[in-house]
Amino acid sequence: MRLNDPSRCQNSEQRIRRPARDGVSFTSQGGEILGIIGPNGAGKTTLFNLISGVYPPSGGEISFQGKSILRLKAHQISRLGIARTFQIVRPFQNLDVETNVLVAYGHRFYPSFWRSTGPFRQAPFLREVQTLVHRAGLQAYTKHMAKNLPLGFKKRLEIARALALRPRLLLLDEPSAGLRFEEAAQLMELIRQVRDQGIGVLLIEHNMQVVMDLCKRIVVLDHGAKIAEGSPEEIRSNPLVIQAYLGKET
Amino acid sequence: MISGYFITILITIGIYAMLAHSLNIITGHAGQISLGHAAFFGIGAYTSAMLYTGAGFPFWISVPLAAVVAGIVGTLLGIPCLRVRDDFLAITTMGINFVVEAIFLYLPFFGGAMGIGGINLPKWFGREMTKPEYFILILVVFVFLLLLDRRVGHSWIGLAWASIREDEEAARAMGVDVVRFKVLAFILGSAIAGLAGGFYAHFLTFIMPQNFGFGQSIVILSMVVFGGIGSRWGPIVGAVILGILPEVSRPIMEYRILIYGILLLGMMRFQPGGLLGPESILPRVFRQSVRRAGARGETQ
Amino acid sequence: MLWQQLANGIAVGSVYALISLGLTMVYGILRILHVAHAGIYTLGAYVGLLSFRLIGSFWLSLITGMAGAAIAGYMVERFLYTPLLHLPRIAPLIVSIGLFTALEEAFRIVAGPHTLAYNARVGLGDLSIGSFHLTETQILILFVTFAILIFLWAFLTKTRTGLAMRACAQDPETTSSFGVNVSGVIAVNFLIGSAMAGAAGVLIGVYDNQVWPTMGSVPAYKALAIVVLGGLGNIPGTVLASIVVGLAETFFIGVLAIPFPRDAVAFVAMIIVLMFRPHGLLGKA
Repeated sequence: MRLNDPSRCQNSEQRIRRPARDGVSFTSQGGEILGIIGPNGAGKTTLFNLISGVYPPSGGEISFQGKSILRLKAHQISRLGIARTFQIVRPFQNLDVETNVLVAYGHRFYPSFWRSTGPFRQAPFLREVQTLVHRAGLQAYTKHMAKNLPLGFKKRLEIARALALRPRLLLLDEPSAGLRFEEAAQLMELIRQVRDQGIGVLLIEHNMQVVMDLCKRIVVLDHGAKIAEGSPEEIRSNPLVIQAYLGKET
Repeated sequence: MISGYFITILITIGIYAMLAHSLNIITGHAGQISLGHAAFFGIGAYTSAMLYTGAGFPFWISVPLAAVVAGIVGTLLGIPCLRVRDDFLAITTMGINFVVEAIFLYLPFFGGAMGIGGINLPKWFGREMTKPEYFILILVVFVFLLLLDRRVGHSWIGLAWASIREDEEAARAMGVDVVRFKVLAFILGSAIAGLAGGFYAHFLTFIMPQNFGFGQSIVILSMVVFGGIGSRWGPIVGAVILGILPEVSRPIMEYRILIYGILLLGMMRFQPGGLLGPESILPRVFRQSVRRAGARGETQ
Repeated sequence: MLWQQLANGIAVGSVYALISLGLTMVYGILRILHVAHAGIYTLGAYVGLLSFRLIGSFWLSLITGMAGAAIAGYMVERFLYTPLLHLPRIAPLIVSIGLFTALEEAFRIVAGPHTLAYNARVGLGDLSIGSFHLTETQILILFVTFAILIFLWAFLTKTRTGLAMRACAQDPETTSSFGVNVSGVIAVNFLIGSAMAGAAGVLIGVYDNQVWPTMGSVPAYKALAIVVLGGLGNIPGTVLASIVVGLAETFFIGVLAIPFPRDAVAFVAMIIVLMFRPHGLLGKA
């Protein structure tokens, strides 16, 4: 997580296309935050579930770094470098912050039976985990149980955990939901830092201000299909987008 | 001289502690509901018994083999089991228990309702082991199992199990191959149960299918629940208390099963963590009395 | 011959339906495997028998059996399940198993371990048409179960409470936000399901002329297999699965005379169906 590797940024193109019948296709790059917005029920979380392997796709194509990930299972996709957070946070409640991150860190060991018999609380691992915890601003809460953390910190924990997977692509599902203004701003800063390291980010958000701020490119979904793609200004003035949101209200 | 009766109780508790410990791996560590654990106990007992009486294998070979066989069956049954969700798993494990017991009961190969007899204590140094020596053997094996448990608990396997227990979906998203680790828990749990079965067969000298039915699974579950699901010493506490209780007084022996039922019921209802669990009364009462003693000291 | 077996199978299957419906209804609304339900079934048989010994009327004993079972079921829900809903689902399951174990033992201790006779008669007499023969108790079974099932169907589809129950099974939170008293609906759910189990207990007790403490053991797991077979929480599925199992048992043993433990048929059927339809006959993902 230390250097920006320029050649990596250019080469890590993630081509993601959902089933043709639903009509969602787009590409996303490393080092960019791609916003995914749309009215409720548009299928944004479903999209994440398809990408991360929670739902098996029925058709279409999803490829990552040039290889198809369509048939892979969730844990295999995580190990390949696509990490996600959940809309309703799911930390491991009865484990402390450090251990939470350790679980994700362990992805290096789980595939091999022999290696997974080794002890997990070792100094080198703990050091790397501490770096992540520090970056998420949670160092003071390292030994606190996840269930006792306030929501804002739980969200940061989700991101720290996801980062422990050494992802090339990070899927964030409504990270600012339920947060106060300052908390959301801090979280956004963290996301910017993640992007600056060359990691690609797909960001689902309802908070328009956040989206317009963070994203140079936005994809708009409605009823399971992509209805627009472009810069924040283009999206803001797109009549289809406006209708999708307003139309839902009436 | 230690009375033979006392030693018998000790050995029984030792075997049950091993059994409860093995169930704890599946239910406590990995968080999987298993309501048919007695099936593996039975598979181990029958394997050891038949290898001994049928093929003439000595105890020292038949019992480890019993563990292996139980572990293999645990794997075979575990794989389809673990594709299914919580509730289906509970029913499936119950069903497995029933089917295994029925196989032992109906197939003449296994001796039918009369079971298998003539299984003796192990021989060593040219003579048969005495009961106290057998107990020491069981104790040694059990201590080894506890050490193993500790080692696994500190490993990535143990961490993976903890994450599965907490939130299976999230564990998957964090790179944990949930199915593989669940199967691992099943293998370990069933193998150790099979080991306990081997010890049981050679101690009781005869075994019957009825010993390995759903009722027995409930007894084992009670011990784990009572001591505290997931805690390392919990199963031992459960085995000791529930093992000693019926011996303490005749009336309790009579109503043993009723008491198990009520204990399960009451424990889960009021103290789901068990006696040694995180929110149990015991440590709280202990802490309070220590505090009170300290306060008294101060005011003096 | 065929008609005879058909009638036998349907009679058996309909009693299975009475027991299994309570189980599936509880699962649908609370997502709990109510293992103790079989204990309620046995309780119904004992209460019915007791009142039959005191009063001497089949119908009254049926009513009291159902009432006793209903009350017991309600208490289980109120004092044991609902307080544990916030815990992982293994907790209410273990409580249920503990309760079932304790109940069976309690019956043994209170009523004795031997089978008791329950020879209630209505004075109807048997029905014979050629080689087709229905005993009085079989007629009673068919009549009572059909009446109850029709009542249940009407209740679920035509009444407000029934509609609320179906809504709760789908989504309790949304339903309560519509002003529905969810805990009341849960209570009614248990009352009806338990009453049906009690009726089944009385009917089987009369049919076999036997009531004994562990008469619930086989129905306990058989009903579970049936419920899974039909689709957990799916009411029509459960009815269908019950009839299927009843017919399968009767045909395999009666017609084909396969030397197979009759009680294992339900489980075998469940496993076979699960291989092709992992959510049961009518279950959804």
